[in-house]
Amino acid sequence: MDSQKRGRADDQVRTIPTSCTPDCGGKCLLKVHVKNGVIVRTESYEGEDLHLRPCARGRASRQRVHAPDRLKFPMKRVGARGEGKFERISWDEALDTVARELKRVKATYGPSAILYIGQSGSFGLLHGRTAAERLLYLFGGCTNHWGMISCEGPAFASAVTYGFFTTGNTPDDFLNSRMIILWGWNPVEAQRATAPFLKRARDAGARIVCVDPRFNCSASLLADQWVPIRPGTDAAMLIAMAYVIITEGLQDQAFINTYTVGFDRYKDYVLGDEDGIAKTPAWAEAITGVPAAAIAGLARDYARMKPAALVAGWGPGRTAYGEQYHRASAVLAAITGNVGIHGGYPGIVGSLGYMPAQPTLPVPWGCCVMPLGDNPAAHRALPTPFNSWYYSDSGIHHCKVADAILRGKAGGYHTDLKLAYVTCANPVNQYPDSNKMAKALRELEFIVVHELFMTATARFADILLPVNTGFERNDICDSWLLSPPYYIYVNKAVDTAYECKSDLEICGELAAKLGIPDYNEKTEDEWLREAFRSIEAIQDYDYDDLKRKGILEVELPEYVPYKEQIEDPKNNPFTTPSGKIEIYSQGLADLNNPKLPPIPKYFEGWEKPLIEKYPLQLFSAHSLTHAKSQFHNTPWLREVEPHTLWINPIDAQPRGISDGASAKVFNDRGQILITARVTERIMPGVIFMADGAWFNPDENGVDRGGCHNVLTSDEISPGSAFTCNSSLAQVERA
Amino acid sequence: MQIGFYFDQTRCTGCYTCVVACKDWHDVPAGPASWMRVTTVEKGKCPDLFVAFLPAACYHCLEPACVDACPVNAITKQKEDGIVTVDRDVCLGRDECQSCLEACPYNAPQFRSEDNAKMEKCDLCIERWADGKKPVCVDACPMLALDAGPIEELRAKYGDNREAEGFIYSEKLIPSITFKPKKDTKGLAVQRIEIAPGSRTVS
Repeated sequence: MDSQKRGRADDQVRTIPTSCTPDCGGKCLLKVHVKNGVIVRTESYEGEDLHLRPCARGRASRQRVHAPDRLKFPMKRVGARGEGKFERISWDEALDTVARELKRVKATYGPSAILYIGQSGSFGLLHGRTAAERLLYLFGGCTNHWGMISCEGPAFASAVTYGFFTTGNTPDDFLNSRMIILWGWNPVEAQRATAPFLKRARDAGARIVCVDPRFNCSASLLADQWVPIRPGTDAAMLIAMAYVIITEGLQDQAFINTYTVGFDRYKDYVLGDEDGIAKTPAWAEAITGVPAAAIAGLARDYARMKPAALVAGWGPGRTAYGEQYHRASAVLAAITGNVGIHGGYPGIVGSLGYMPAQPTLPVPWGCCVMPLGDNPAAHRALPTPFNSWYYSDSGIHHCKVADAILRGKAGGYHTDLKLAYVTCANPVNQYPDSNKMAKALRELEFIVVHELFMTATARFADILLPVNTGFERNDICDSWLLSPPYYIYVNKAVDTAYECKSDLEICGELAAKLGIPDYNEKTEDEWLREAFRSIEAIQDYDYDDLKRKGILEVELPEYVPYKEQIEDPKNNPFTTPSGKIEIYSQGLADLNNPKLPPIPKYFEGWEKPLIEKYPLQLFSAHSLTHAKSQFHNTPWLREVEPHTLWINPIDAQPRGISDGASAKVFNDRGQILITARVTERIMPGVIFMADGAWFNPDENGVDRGGCHNVLTSDEISPGSAFTCNSSLAQVERA
Repeated sequence: MQIGFYFDQTRCTGCYTCVVACKDWHDVPAGPASWMRVTTVEKGKCPDLFVAFLPAACYHCLEPACVDACPVNAITKQKEDGIVTVDRDVCLGRDECQSCLEACPYNAPQFRSEDNAKMEKCDLCIERWADGKKPVCVDACPMLALDAGPIEELRAKYGDNREAEGFIYSEKLIPSITFKPKKDTKGLAVQRIEIAPGSRTVS
């Protein structure tokens, strides 16, 4: 009845092409129907480029934009930090307070006492975290942080092995693969743009194997074989696969001789000549839980079914010594000759796909067309030459922000932090050790947060500023990593809600109060036209045409990284010191760190001594109903995928935990109460919680929201990988 | 002419885009009423598993049980296209009667949480056909796992297969559906079944 009435063509409804721009692994084309200033329903791209179709999150956009719990006006804290008690104030009072505090802290302690936390909350070419970054740099600088939560481990390993941070064949190239190994890579749920290409490859006959502690939706759609493996042990399995390949003479020796250095040193380690331990499949079975025969079988298949794509995802590398897993996967790709060829893959999911082939903006992917400038308070202190260029001017690793706040100079950090400015980020929820972060934020003198909702981090603000969504402003976004290249015009669909402002507007007004003259001289439209003109691939097209259609797809040939290096090595050396693929890295050897060896090695995680007290390994991964912590409060998404603890019956039954029962998950860092999902889709000894659920501690400090970071550690790996997937925990019936 | 659905179970990833697209299009709030529901079937023991998904809305059966069950004739089957619809003004409401839901083996009739909510369910996006569009779930699916149209045309195009994991064909009701099923070739034992939204678990 109702739908029939709504269905009739309505002159008052405008259809506007746009997109949502979260950190979701895709960029889709939405066509929102707007009536009387409200998005009333959503349609989308209906063609067969499936990566342009939105997911459940995109379809739920209007429920997010028009959510009743949107922050509506600026607020100042009246309760204790973290309580979430605020009272409404005017924008003038809010920004006067922020300006006053910024000036006070800078004058009293210096600019490095100001900590900037900005992440991936919004990915447009104009709007996002850069607004506040630029402001703080112009103000005199701040302490930024470094290390990519997503991929510091693989960036490090790729830089060591191949000489560049990023790498990866374009997804259309999977059609050329005879075999594809999805190692800790879950494109169906975490990088949707690639999933249709893999399905096509499978339908064309590729053999697909999923190596993952969990039988996820990628395994369900694609896998011929599921290999469950204990988190943090992946390097051991890859090294044992090298053992099989080498002892059975399956390596591509001609490739090794021509394009690599250090194979013999690696062979010594693998065969046991270096340390007396032969890295056999049986050796790896005891560590990984994967049967020796399965390890050997996978090694033989991978070496023989060429070209084969070993796509080593980022999740397994977010572990203690995770960079060794990425090194071992890259080296396995190299010794089988699967690098630089169609259907192969360099062994690390690098993202990149089209990026090298795609003429880029003057600033790196995902960043702002607005120039950032230099950070006058930069503290250049990356621990190795191989750590990523992202935020390389800062002194504190993302994981160590809470520790740096708590310990400061006395703890060896370069500064004492006094003020935090947070935009596009939710560190209490998304950085390791939520309870420690909460404790740290309580120590600061002042905290300002830009937010859409009352998130865990918002509750700690002294001044909380409401921002608008991507639907309330204009932007352009580029396509995701690992997807074909296109640009979407993110058209403003509705006016900015309540008293909200964009991050850019807020920072512009703050700049005026801080006496900064040149913060932003252009209008939104001027910036976007400038961005458009600066992109070589599209600058000859019509800007207004892009705005009207919403999308501009770019024709580029499929890309195979290192193709030139393989086809013409003399004229195209790898950008490594040796000019070759470095199985052995002299650069690493020169660091003299036994835990950063020059060849890939397996090291046992440092939590292992706790295994009797906390016998279960916890890991997390992205879900299709969240983008990091965004969308958690969207009702349509909460009801399709309620947040649960995945636990195998072998672990659940002795604990008296039945499917749907309440369970307590805990370790020394905190406690969580959560509903159990008893399922065979998680291997015994391992438990799983999706990333992004909102931290919600009760009066006893027990988290009722199911935030896995209550249990994760802020220890970082020697190569600076995050180690959130190396947590041990215990589970009891609640 | 009878309109029905095609579902390719081998392409479905259990992503719930169809569920949310339907709620968005038809303005159904989060809550106990869901025109589209997805069943997740988990079979086998780690590591030999088989998982399949089955989205189901309403099958607009040739001999719909709900039409016969309704005591006030609120439910009718359209002659021109076989779409089964409910007149909410005639429906007695959930607190008075749930005969349609009790009669339907596929849980197609749905009720919201408010007092005496009237029955609502998939109407195959009646109004979209007039605009030359397919149902929103079909257009929304990011894997092209769904199609809709005259059932005879669907069967001619995709084959006539009335079996799928998680589905039981009713010879009596004759649902308007054809499948490409995901086949469990090893005949594994069912371990867990979940229907969402609603998180109705049948272990």
